Amino acid sequence: MHHVVLDRWSRGASALHRRDARAKTLAVLVFLIALATAQRSFVALSACYFVILAAVVVAAGLPLGSALKRASVVLPFTAVFAAISLAAGEPMRAASLIAKSYLSALAVLILVSTTPLPELLRGLERMGVPRYLLMVTQFLYRYLFVISEEAQHMRAAAQAKSGSIRVLFNRSKFGAAAGALGVLFARSYGHAEGIHQAMLARGFQGTFRTLAARAFNKADAAFVMAALIVLVGARAAVEAWI
Amino acid sequence: MHIPDGFLATPVWATLDVAAAPAVGYLARRAQQGLEQSKVPLLGVMGAFVFAAQMINFPVGMGTSGHLVGAALLAYTLGPAAAGVVLTAILAVQALVFQDGGVLALGANVINMAIAGMLAGYLPMYLWGAGRRRRSAIFLGGFLSVLTAAVLALSELLLSGVAMPAAMLRISLGLFAISAVLEGAITLAIVEALESINPDFVRQPQRSAGWVMTGAGVAAIFLAVVGVAFASTNPDGIWKLADVTGIAPHAKSLFAAPLADYQMGLLQSVWLRKAGAGLAGLGLIYGACVLCGRLLARQRGA
Repeated sequence: MHHVVLDRWSRGASALHRRDARAKTLAVLVFLIALATAQRSFVALSACYFVILAAVVVAAGLPLGSALKRASVVLPFTAVFAAISLAAGEPMRAASLIAKSYLSALAVLILVSTTPLPELLRGLERMGVPRYLLMVTQFLYRYLFVISEEAQHMRAAAQAKSGSIRVLFNRSKFGAAAGALGVLFARSYGHAEGIHQAMLARGFQGTFRTLAARAFNKADAAFVMAALIVLVGARAAVEAWI
Repeated sequence: MHIPDGFLATPVWATLDVAAAPAVGYLARRAQQGLEQSKVPLLGVMGAFVFAAQMINFPVGMGTSGHLVGAALLAYTLGPAAAGVVLTAILAVQALVFQDGGVLALGANVINMAIAGMLAGYLPMYLWGAGRRRRSAIFLGGFLSVLTAAVLALSELLLSGVAMPAAMLRISLGLFAISAVLEGAITLAIVEALESINPDFVRQPQRSAGWVMTGAGVAAIFLAVVGVAFASTNPDGIWKLADVTGIAPHAKSLFAAPLADYQMGLLQSVWLRKAGAGLAGLGLIYGACVLCGRLLARQRGA
């Protein structure tokens, strides 16, 4: 599955993997803002940023081909609007929609595939995002696989029992799907109570503890500065000369 | 409809990010106060449930099917504040892990779905949840949650200048209406299934924060109506609108007050100012987040 691959990638050992989550988050935000606010000489800037991102992917030891392919999941949605813009006689806007959404997705993909999600969320917490929200996010990510697997089992069971006869509108099938979700809801609720009991039994007091809090060291600061200079510099150069 | 990065004009996404940060901080605080400690895993697992629920297809007829979106259902079962937190967490995971929705556009998506859509979905249940019209209220809630979110997203896109001919606009509004009816029907069917398993799953709306809830819900629906009316009559978006009205400098600073410097840079094409203003925007969002965190910490300490 998609996220399992990301999880494996995020446990690599490159220099980029070793940077603090906050440094990488800041660098990605600089990238996204520099790209989102760009108006002039857009094609050259996109090409330039694409080369930078591809270089980062290679430097982080990630497989370039599959990373580029994964980032393209934004394209179906974008393509609809690009086609509309094209039909409305605005080819530049269509190109800008595709390039901006694809490059942004690629940048975020690099962030999550060089930073394990728990570490990323911890970094966000130290940057001031409400801790309660991040705890919920962490539980959500952790149990995504468990609950999804149950849903898949239920779907397989339902298909095995009812076949797939297509009719105009089958009220009983609609009800069966609702019933299945009701059961899934009840099971999820039960899971949550069991999880909480288990957490209490292990001394949970309201916060997740981590073994070693990472410090934001000089290399991280240098990384943020370098990203800022390269990204803003590239944009300035492109806009000045092209 | 998750808006990816690159679709929204800078004033639109920046404003919505700045607006969403304190709203999410407030919801997180409300949810934390309203629920006992044991609910933290519950909120996470319910978020996972909404993800998983999208795998179960509901046959709609003629071979097509739809799936649950879940904003109204979460509001009925967890209460509005907790539902807002869960939906925000879902959107964050979708943006980060699944590249579904942008990171700069996260504020827009949170406002559309987790706040405005959720509140609009909760409103009918809040007003009529106890009476004879309960079934209609549940259906209407599912309907409004999807329609409000979709219409807001559409008007933000139009405001950002994404071109959309009138015929296309009518078709998409029609599609939104169909999926909203579907969400209403699915929500009603699931609520009935849940109540036959355990009547306690669906909470009776609390009457304590009366006018706040009603006001917020009505405001969300009103915003959607005004947004689409405004945006569809000005299809050229926020930039041209300001030029056409002839009050460009005033209008632009009004729309982008926090980033007025960026507007200056745009007019004069000075990249340095643009970069500076972009960074200022980043700093502003960061500051808003930190402020929320501090406020939260103080509340918790008190």
